[in-house]
Amino acid sequence: MNLEHFLKSEAPGWMDGKGLDGDIVLSTRIRLARNLDGYRFPLSFSEQEAKQVDEVVTQALLNINKDKRIFSHFTIQEMPALQRQVLVEKHLISPLLAKKEKHASVLLSEDETMSVMVNEEDHLRIQCILPGLQLSETYTLANQLDGQLEKHLPYAFNESFGYLTSCPTNVGTGLRASVMMHLPALTMSKQIKAVTQMLARFGMVVRGIYGEGSENIGNIYQISNQVTLGKSEEEIIEDLQNVVVQIIQNERGARQSLLKNSRIVLEDRFNRSLGTLRYARIMTSEEAASCLSNVRLGVDLGIIKDVPLNILNECMILIQPGFVQQYAGTTLQPTERDIFRAKLLREKLNLNSQNSLEKGEERYDV
Amino acid sequence: MICEHCQERQASVTVTQVINGQKSERHYCEVCAKQFHPFNIDFHKEDQIPIHQLVANLFGLPVWNNTQEKTQTTTQKVSQCPKCGFTFRHFLNEGKLGCSQCYETFSKQLPQVLTKIQAGTKHSGKAPGKPSNDHTWIKKQIETTREQLQTAIMEERFEDAAELRDEIKDLERKLEHGGVDTP
Repeated sequence: MNLEHFLKSEAPGWMDGKGLDGDIVLSTRIRLARNLDGYRFPLSFSEQEAKQVDEVVTQALLNINKDKRIFSHFTIQEMPALQRQVLVEKHLISPLLAKKEKHASVLLSEDETMSVMVNEEDHLRIQCILPGLQLSETYTLANQLDGQLEKHLPYAFNESFGYLTSCPTNVGTGLRASVMMHLPALTMSKQIKAVTQMLARFGMVVRGIYGEGSENIGNIYQISNQVTLGKSEEEIIEDLQNVVVQIIQNERGARQSLLKNSRIVLEDRFNRSLGTLRYARIMTSEEAASCLSNVRLGVDLGIIKDVPLNILNECMILIQPGFVQQYAGTTLQPTERDIFRAKLLREKLNLNSQNSLEKGEERYDV
Repeated sequence: MICEHCQERQASVTVTQVINGQKSERHYCEVCAKQFHPFNIDFHKEDQIPIHQLVANLFGLPVWNNTQEKTQTTTQKVSQCPKCGFTFRHFLNEGKLGCSQCYETFSKQLPQVLTKIQAGTKHSGKAPGKPSNDHTWIKKQIETTREQLQTAIMEERFEDAAELRDEIKDLERKLEHGGVDTP
């Protein structure tokens, strides 16, 4: 499989199907951090060690999927910057990996649900992403891959500290489970702060869509476990599941009370946003994200009926700088990007208003 | 003459100090003189009291000296990771460890850090080569099933009880298997 496959198919694998609670939960991601015994961590290892780690890991992965899944190997340093950015925007690699100077690589499964980053902060970062809320399914997938890899790779493990990682915030299980949620009603009714505080008490964190340090764009939040040591994998998954289910209930409740109290304001806001997306000529990524969030909520509440959810998912990915430039076929200045972004959104949203009414109708189940 | 500092050993070093034109003489033994090393060299060179010493004198804190420096370097040497050269200070600055060996090198200091950011300091999840279900989790399951078994017997639901009994047996087998498996 060549890199073009992963760059061209626009909506990533984890956005294809409609998952459980798909109106609120966009995707579920599981990440396992692993290191190999005998090599220093990427923070302090030599270029030679980096290459050896890549070789050993790649060999192990190719051994596993001789018959089943096909992983494709790409060296980060050989990719142009724009291609790296596109992979970051599809959540297939992390921003950190894209910036690596020492030898680093990524192995991607054909359907983009599984990836293994090599020499990011740790030697291995096993990552699985599925659409909707599917914590235990996603964990099972990651756990299977981990189980196959451990037969071929000498993992750095210690009885008392568990899986050893470069950062002590990952040590133990090395497991980070995160759920990407669209929470416009909780944001509008200013309840997000309370949710964040509640989560902190349970050892969970809220981050923006692009992970650590990023702000929330388009009312999208990533909720994940903070604690990795002292709890088993099952406990971590279960705790997160409970918390997420509760947030979904709160969001649903907030949506209904918004609808009850200010229906016409909402209708106005959703339709204005849709109009902006369909007719604007200049569009920043922030504006696009907030309009898409409004339209999405409109679709979820049955107020907007002629926009299918999968088109909105795709647009959310496409409005990012890397994708806009890929669409234009060249690198662009921010102002030029805004023009191309508007053009792209017009094409996507006007094209689909004519031919697919069914999906919008299908979502009318609130 | 007896050393002015320890009041024990014979004084063999005379320290002449000039502060603001006032001359004073002190008599120390060799051991104590070593500790007051800055008095001998630095003072005469600079003819001025270093600020840290002033502060130290003011608050009656121990004066910076050679022995302290020595112990510092030795502790640093002890807690330097043999594989990647990381020291504990280096780790605190960086927030990350250099290699897996660091966890052994700093095994005494790390738990203090871990208790602040984690739920505990002991791993309770899966391990390589073991089934994914960890012992404590299975043990917990066995416990709850046993309780269920007791209530089933009390309520004379014997068919349920038989099922629960088999379940416990299965779990116990799993537990044993998981324990034996590790090489």
